[in-house]
Amino acid sequence: MTASSLESGSRGAGNKVGTRNVLAKIWQQDGPGYMFLLPWLIGFFGLTVGPMVTSLYLSFTDFDLLTDPNWVGASNYVRMFTADPKFAAAMRVTFFFVIFSVPLKLAFALLVAMLLNRGLRGLPLYRAIFYLPSLLGTSVAIAILWRQLFAGDGLVNQFLANFGIDGPSWISNPRYSLWTLIVLSVWQFGSPMIIFLAGLRQIPQDMYEAASLDGASKFRQFYKITLPLLTPVVFFNAIVQTIEAFKSFTPAFVISGGTGAPINSTLFYTLYLYQEAFGFFRMGYASALAWFLLAMIAAFTAFSFLTSKYWVHYDD
Amino acid sequence: MTLRLNRRRFLMGSSALMAAGAVGLRPVLAQDGRIRLLFWGGQDRADRTYGVSDLFESQTGAAVDGEFLGWGDYWTKLGTQTAGGNAPDVMQMDYRYIVEYATRGAIAPLDEFVGEVLELADFDADQIEGGRVNDQLYGISLGANSVAMLNNLSAFEQVGIDPPDRNTTYADWREMGEAFNSSDIGMKALSDGSGVEPMLDNWLRQQGLMLYTADGELGFGEDEAVEWFRMWQELREADIIVSAEQQALDTGGGLEATMVVQKLSASMPSNSNQLVAYQSLMEDDLSISSYPRIEPGSGGGHYRKPSMFFSVAGSSSAKETAARFVNFFVNDVEAAEILGVERGIPCAEHVREALAPQLDEKSRIALEFVANLDDLLGPLPPPPPPAAGEIDSSLLRTISQEIAFGARSPEDGGRAFVEGARDILSRASS
Repeated sequence: MTASSLESGSRGAGNKVGTRNVLAKIWQQDGPGYMFLLPWLIGFFGLTVGPMVTSLYLSFTDFDLLTDPNWVGASNYVRMFTADPKFAAAMRVTFFFVIFSVPLKLAFALLVAMLLNRGLRGLPLYRAIFYLPSLLGTSVAIAILWRQLFAGDGLVNQFLANFGIDGPSWISNPRYSLWTLIVLSVWQFGSPMIIFLAGLRQIPQDMYEAASLDGASKFRQFYKITLPLLTPVVFFNAIVQTIEAFKSFTPAFVISGGTGAPINSTLFYTLYLYQEAFGFFRMGYASALAWFLLAMIAAFTAFSFLTSKYWVHYDD
Repeated sequence: MTLRLNRRRFLMGSSALMAAGAVGLRPVLAQDGRIRLLFWGGQDRADRTYGVSDLFESQTGAAVDGEFLGWGDYWTKLGTQTAGGNAPDVMQMDYRYIVEYATRGAIAPLDEFVGEVLELADFDADQIEGGRVNDQLYGISLGANSVAMLNNLSAFEQVGIDPPDRNTTYADWREMGEAFNSSDIGMKALSDGSGVEPMLDNWLRQQGLMLYTADGELGFGEDEAVEWFRMWQELREADIIVSAEQQALDTGGGLEATMVVQKLSASMPSNSNQLVAYQSLMEDDLSISSYPRIEPGSGGGHYRKPSMFFSVAGSSSAKETAARFVNFFVNDVEAAEILGVERGIPCAEHVREALAPQLDEKSRIALEFVANLDDLLGPLPPPPPPAAGEIDSSLLRTISQEIAFGARSPEDGGRAFVEGARDILSRASS
């Protein structure tokens, strides 16, 4: 209502003057809109685009916070791939985390969504409860809780002790520490679960009815009906969760005290980036790391979109 | 039409206001004679510090806005604020960083204030020396301390052996560890010190070596590094020290996660000024002793370290007020009574004399420990090179864990440590 009166108002003004060029006309039409967007635009350019462009520049310098940056060409990027064992370690840890946490989390989320989709009473309540861990999300409090759960004398080992199992100190043993973080990530299955649930409800019931009349088993129904019709949702969830997993920071930071310990086994890419930037003040190198992370995520997302036509099934 | 113009004007005006606000922010904060103070530490230190800044305000009218963070976050915040031209007027500074900050002009030389608003007549000479960079005074020591073993006396009593003292050697520690193992106390004698930089430093100094030379080179070689890790490997294999998993629980985040507080070991390497803070966390009776000697009669490993400094920002517009506050902090007896020895032993003699009779037992132990190091005492080492922090946190601790978890042999670890440290040093200086 406001928009249309506004539009006609500016058009009227444009006609009156008559001899304006195209740009001015566009301004006449859209100018007020941009003015309304201005507070957001200032934030977007000042707080997002500006710093990003600056960091691209800094990634070609040796900026160390205290002295002025010097141009060093591509040497930060060269060092990353040729002379930085910690970078390699961080890449290994991050890819391991992404490769295991994302499928496990999606599978778990789908499982819970299917359980909830069986016409339960009080569904909203269950949905809310299962979503809760995701709300608490990657908070510091949860990471501390995890530390307590998986420490040597933590709850997990006290439980295992009932079965005569003497569990290791999960979080401080390099063999298991990353797995505790993967379990933490899987536990936060709420947001893909909600999306799966919505997707499941879109699948017409008559398909299942027809399938069971034809004698298809539950498993076959899942495999032939649910999964294909759900692929767009799986696709969406996979991309979102993978990006999240690449960016994961807080749990590793809290559980390892910011060190990536023990023996760099929880040295997530972002944690390494943080160490370089704020631990050792190598802002130039850290900027280069950040841009490579962006490139990695972009490449992965592009790859997913390119391959999607082979496995994502759209109804229409 | 009129309406539209008004709306535009309003938008223009408000965005201009926003821009002005963004630009005008800093002058607004910096005005009216307040100074800002940033320091690292815990709540106890903060309470004492704010007590002194309140006292300073009531006596001089100059307000001090204090803020404190944990050690790790502190350097991040200070670095960011300094880079943003918004450094606090007074900042807590460490021996590890003072050269870096001084040579870059991030902190100001204080020589012009000495004898004026900054009184150092009866200040310990070695503590003044510790705050000098290139013959200029950049930091005022807030207290002297020394590395020390933190010992749980109750545990030693329970096991039925004498606690360690100034003559205890590494070999003695091994015997004590065996006594612990044959008791049913369920605690090791010692934490794993193989990744503790000051302990390695102390061990090297007893052999006449050092961690870093004055030119910022590594002061020891592969042989020493291998021997160091081998010594700890032997203690580990003999079950004298805590397990790798247990030691890895202490990620350096705070006192609570340390081996003594977790009651996993009776003793661990620490600092003399921290006795008070640790005792406040534990029921058991705690005390301190010197680091182990490498053999009977060897000494010179310890030194009286300026535990921390106050420095004044190079960009500060109120340097004189800032220097006045620093002076008040280290010289005023009433302030000293609030501060106690929590930051180390006061460096001004008149403060020490006034304070000594009023100290509680643990504080007096710390004071006497630092005052009576005698033959354990060696010269103050040169300030470490800027890369020392990285060598400590990302190399020494990682390799010590790799050996403890069996991923490397002590020989391999020693070689990797020296090689890695040289690599980091050369990268930092290039």
